[in-house]
Amino acid sequence: MRTKNFIIAIVLGGALAAGIFVAASINKPAELQTAFVVPSPAELPAFALQDQYGEPVTADTFRGQWDLVFFGFTNCPDICPTTLQILANAKLELQNIGAGAIPRVVFISVDPERDTPEILGRYVDYFGAANLGVTGTLPELVKLTTALGIFFEKAPTDDGNYGVDHSAAVLVINPEGQFSALFSAPHTIANYVHDLPIIMDVN
Amino acid sequence: MPPVRLSILGAIFVFAVLSACDGDAEPPLIATAIIINESVPGKAMSAGYLSLRNTTHDEISISRVSSPEFGAVEIHESLLQDGVAKMRRVEKLLIPANSTVSLEPGGKHLMLMLPIGAPENISLNFYNDETLQLSVQASLTRSKH
Repeated sequence: MRTKNFIIAIVLGGALAAGIFVAASINKPAELQTAFVVPSPAELPAFALQDQYGEPVTADTFRGQWDLVFFGFTNCPDICPTTLQILANAKLELQNIGAGAIPRVVFISVDPERDTPEILGRYVDYFGAANLGVTGTLPELVKLTTALGIFFEKAPTDDGNYGVDHSAAVLVINPEGQFSALFSAPHTIANYVHDLPIIMDVN
Repeated sequence: MPPVRLSILGAIFVFAVLSACDGDAEPPLIATAIIINESVPGKAMSAGYLSLRNTTHDEISISRVSSPEFGAVEIHESLLQDGVAKMRRVEKLLIPANSTVSLEPGGKHLMLMLPIGAPENISLNFYNDETLQLSVQASLTRSKH
């Protein structure tokens, strides 16, 4: 009899502990895995670039939707396609889980000398028809990269050509057109699927 | 007597050839997980990835890769330094004894440049200086889009 009561006590105690644990998990705010949220979202500077259709791109272009912004160049066979493919797959996953908002992917060229709107267009379209490609003049590009803390620099190759070293982070721009969060490389689909809904709910 | 000697030499030669073709012996270098991405429209370059397993007790070095389907093939490495992505040429790919070296996205990779025509099936030849170490065949991997 005593043993039976003891077992009942253990079972009840276990159930109570489990209940407390579940309640605690539900009330606990979701935590970001890898993204860094900017404490006070930053306005974009004034700049004038253009998209793959030759249309102007300014700070206003980034208002009205969530944007994932990646800087790169089209003569980049590994990091840039890999990152754009991860962002495309993350968008698909977000659609599959019914996320409230699906961000737009924006690829900004740090090689405006070679990346004409036409070349850039074919490149970004390959990773998703809704993608925005941005290029323009070097001084206008530098206005934007400087304000966002994005580094880029030409790296000459043996054959007299060049690559471009560039920051590998993906920036999140909120619908008010403010830089509000950042994903550092290396990027994974899971990190975006986990963190983006949290970021997009907070703002 | 000379004819007898010759036949003994001939027998040794045949034996040596048979040993080299022994079906149970592993080749010194084995390629797996081969992915050759199609080039993005408008770009005359793409990336190739594979794993190379050295089954021998000696280091194998790859100093040159060629392909009849591409004007140039180089081994490159993407590096992430203080948040900055960089790409540098790898002069010699070293595969330590009894080890595997993986070429994968975001790390070492083959940079396939100047495609000849629109290749679907690709041959890759891996050399140490002028000595052929491995030949592999692969078909082009198309994007899901």
